[in-house]
Amino acid sequence: MVGSGVTKVDRHYDKNYLVLIDEAVGKTLANSGLDASDIEYLIVSTAFSESILNQADPSTYIAQNLGFRNVKALTVSSGEVSGAVALDYAHALIRSGKASRVLVVGFEKMSEYPSWVINRVYSKILEYEVEGIKNVAPSDYAALIMNDYMRRYGVSRESIIKWSIKMHENAVKTPHAQLQFTISADSLSKALRISEPLTMLDSHPTSDGAAALLLVNESVAKKAGTTPIELVDVESSVNLPIYLRDDLTYFSATAAAYKRLSSRNGVKLTTNTAINVYDTYDIYGLLTIEALEICARGEAVKCVDEMPYLNVGGGLKARGHPVGATPLYQVHELRELMSGTSWVKYDGDISLAHAMSGPDNNAWLILLKGWV
Amino acid sequence: MKHSISIFWRLKDNHYKIYVTKCGDCGRVASLKRLKCPYCGSRNVEHVESRGFGELINYTVSYYRTEGSEQYLPRVVGLVKLDEGPVIVGEITDVDLNELSIGTRVEAVLRKYSSEDPNGLIYYGLKFIPVIKK
Amino acid sequence: MTSSRFRVGIVGWGAYIPVYRIKAKEIARQWGFDDRVTDSIWIEEKAVAGADEDTVTMGWYAARSALLRAGVNPGDIGAVFVGTESKPYAVKPSSTIIADALGISAKKLSTDLEFACRAGSEGIRISVSLVESGAVRYGLAIGSDTAQANPGDVLELTASSGAAAYLVGPADESVAVFESLVTYVTDTPDFWRRDGSRYPAHGEGFTGEPAYFHHIVSAVKMLMNESGLKPSDFDYAVFHQPNGKFPLQVGRVLGFPREKVLPSIVTPWIGNTYNASALLGLAKILENSKPGQRILVAPFGSGAGADAISALVTDKVLERVGKAPTVEKLIARKKYISYAEYAKFRNLIHRNLW
Repeated sequence: MVGSGVTKVDRHYDKNYLVLIDEAVGKTLANSGLDASDIEYLIVSTAFSESILNQADPSTYIAQNLGFRNVKALTVSSGEVSGAVALDYAHALIRSGKASRVLVVGFEKMSEYPSWVINRVYSKILEYEVEGIKNVAPSDYAALIMNDYMRRYGVSRESIIKWSIKMHENAVKTPHAQLQFTISADSLSKALRISEPLTMLDSHPTSDGAAALLLVNESVAKKAGTTPIELVDVESSVNLPIYLRDDLTYFSATAAAYKRLSSRNGVKLTTNTAINVYDTYDIYGLLTIEALEICARGEAVKCVDEMPYLNVGGGLKARGHPVGATPLYQVHELRELMSGTSWVKYDGDISLAHAMSGPDNNAWLILLKGWV
Repeated sequence: MKHSISIFWRLKDNHYKIYVTKCGDCGRVASLKRLKCPYCGSRNVEHVESRGFGELINYTVSYYRTEGSEQYLPRVVGLVKLDEGPVIVGEITDVDLNELSIGTRVEAVLRKYSSEDPNGLIYYGLKFIPVIKK
Repeated sequence: MTSSRFRVGIVGWGAYIPVYRIKAKEIARQWGFDDRVTDSIWIEEKAVAGADEDTVTMGWYAARSALLRAGVNPGDIGAVFVGTESKPYAVKPSSTIIADALGISAKKLSTDLEFACRAGSEGIRISVSLVESGAVRYGLAIGSDTAQANPGDVLELTASSGAAAYLVGPADESVAVFESLVTYVTDTPDFWRRDGSRYPAHGEGFTGEPAYFHHIVSAVKMLMNESGLKPSDFDYAVFHQPNGKFPLQVGRVLGFPREKVLPSIVTPWIGNTYNASALLGLAKILENSKPGQRILVAPFGSGAGADAISALVTDKVLERVGKAPTVEKLIARKKYISYAEYAKFRNLIHRNLW
């Protein structure tokens, strides 16, 4: 990866998706020595453009409007993990030798409709014929899982909010984050409830954003003006339907993907590894760091205090969740850490991004390494 | 929201009744009528109709607003462990929020999932209520 | 006496009453009635269908209870009728939805019937003839309503929601065998609702003597003449009950002592469930009856007509009562709501769709 760029995450009522993408792509290509006409593959990631923007395959119109004259353009629409899947495809293209210059672009415009419409769109990440038709929403599952976790491990409601508090502290130091203000546990008693005991303080906001990553092969990387970060490997796993799981508090798909990734690459995550995980709700962030074997089961709320490089951008909670773009924001933030341009100094040589659909329905892991 | 006529009609078996799927290979039982066992992937499965009774093992009171469901808020969504073994997700209705508790015996009853559009179809399906004593 | 010419009876019965109740005095005060009016017609509170309930969902529950009591194979049911004046669809039968949800096979007669409050009872009469003629083995007759009443009209004090279901079949499988069934129908404009109109209109006093009383008295007298039965031959008399007072009055006119009528009266605590009104009263009687007892049931529907049905209880009734919730248990299952919640559940508050 030799370039990356993101827009500020916000409700961009005044900008359409092309304007946002143009901004992100401009930042990505700057200093890379490449322009749009050098790109061989344009892989666009969006979860909901067909529902929200009435646009099927936006990659065609991004190519036409933003100067990608020689490109193979395609759209990856894979629900909440679209961005991770797009990166996997880019990775495979370059590793196989089929392409040498791939631009991955992710975007979403979640603010385009009132909440009661967008809530219905977002609920499409669950199984329509089971949950969609019955009006069961993603936040309902987060609440059920939070209940289970608190009962199983005796963890208090107040301690879970520590995750969100930390995310906001990180967002304040991240210029592109959506919610750049701190929160406190005192706000919990007045926080609007979404699905008891889940409140607005536990949940990602409604976000618009665009992000881009420039991926190239080794020989192009050597000629780039920036220090490359290597996208080493991608791994994934699909879980059982939520209601069929024996233990709602164990993200077994994330765990299975991690075991394969870690054994294949000889890496092990510690509390000092830079990771960027899907805290769609704070409880999901906590369960993820347990599934990644960084913390023991039931211990995540204590463990969080000892992780200086966790979700440095503020996570989905405070940086925001422009769904199709989110994994690309995560990788951009890890790249900043590994290149020394983040708000905190990082010495590790690997980092990991984690994306998942709903509560670990479909989990994806992306392993990055400093270029040697 | 409008659901497809044909999709809803095809789903009657999973919405007018509760079926469970028993695997002839690994022996596990899963809720809903399925083509294959979700645990081992086997096609050697049997569909059995559930009596519709079970125990409430988890629930949440939801204020999440989606267009078409305003009339039913707040919604109670719960996980029910059917007497036949597997867990199913569904809406719990007719409950006093103060009376809800884990362990409540519930039964499946036919109710409206939605009927917002006065000119459209009414979508019927099963929800759970605290068991009505005989 | 009489010898039954029908070899048909009630094989199973079921009831459903929604959990919500609103006090009649609360409705009266909302609209500026002197709240003593509720005592004058004997109505204390009424059942209100929840936002996710309707004629189909209630009818389904009552019918399922009827099948649980009957213990028959749903595939042997050859007819399904829903008598209602609150059809969720003006065109699309409620009966097919309930039948599919209960696993009744496609080989059946099925329709929704309208005759104000007595269509459920007409469904019973039709089922009896179908079984008697051998055309079907069992017939399922349901009476179910989410009764409408103009807000602020006196009928709003009583118009409520509920359902009852009867599985009609061979006498030797029955908990009560039919001895005599008659129906008396004329064109009498006491109460009506035009197509597309949200609430019914009625003639107030005219709904009494020329409608309710005349038709029930005529039907019952017709049954007595044909069968040779007298009030003293009956242990119970169950009438359509638009409020608590009318059935007691018509019972008196017909010569039934108060104690034979009172046990079937349920309206004061659940309201007038329209097509389920007399039929829930009958269910309550069956649940408390003894073999050998004789029951008179006289449903009435505006427009107008009344049935008179005589049935003799068999020894099968005792073992089937406990297989499903009884009317008394359903009456006792209740939660009170305010007029505002009632207005929301019953769609009295207009909302735009976005």
